[in-house]
Amino acid sequence: MTDADPDFSAQIHSHRTYLLRVAVLQLRNDELAEDVVQDTLLAALQGKAGFSGRSTLKTWLTGILKHKIVDAIRKKGREPVTSSFDEECQIDDFDALFDASGHWDNPPADWGDPEVQLSRQQFFDVVEFCLDKLPPNTARVFMMREVMELDGPEICKELSLTSTNLWVILYRARVALRLCLEQHWFAAAARSG
Amino acid sequence: MSCKDASRLISQMQDANLPFAQRLRVRLHLLFCHACTRFERQVRFLRRAMQRYSR
Repeated sequence: MTDADPDFSAQIHSHRTYLLRVAVLQLRNDELAEDVVQDTLLAALQGKAGFSGRSTLKTWLTGILKHKIVDAIRKKGREPVTSSFDEECQIDDFDALFDASGHWDNPPADWGDPEVQLSRQQFFDVVEFCLDKLPPNTARVFMMREVMELDGPEICKELSLTSTNLWVILYRARVALRLCLEQHWFAAAARSG
Repeated sequence: MSCKDASRLISQMQDANLPFAQRLRVRLHLLFCHACTRFERQVRFLRRAMQRYSR
């Protein structure tokens, strides 16, 4: 059925690892993530005509994956995947980042011109490492927002979250990711000059 | 406004429109605070990085 274009099939499958990683971060269930990625690859093969070449293949596949993930979350009945959202909605544990007067305890460091990092694969390896370290629901919400590019109200609806909780979780994700990238990439880059 | 409040609002501005008065207070804070200015740049960079990640 799809053997007509083995090249296209090979190109699609070259993004499998990426798609699986994105799916796992959002679904926190390896089996379900595998299914969703399989559906995505199949839909891509069958819908080849829909790929206009105006976006990259990876972007197009990400768009298909987004719908499959939202469907999977709906089917699962919207329950939090592994841990309760409540634990990740507390604002109190941000206190450690600031002194009693609300100033940064460890102010963000100078990252120089970070744009140059965007063309380095190793940088994205560290991004993935840092994403994996986020608490499960925090990673999930961050991926929905920044990779699936769903807007706030859509995420709140799919996960039955209040917007206040959504903002706390995204704040947590950004604070943790920037700290992790600083420690594992930018500080190392500064040391090696 | 403290850095703690400012950083929280800077993150929130990535996801929602803040009321004008609140936005103004964040802007004012940023005029005088290098640390939060860096935080804001880094948060916006994170968004670009994640967009690049999926392209």
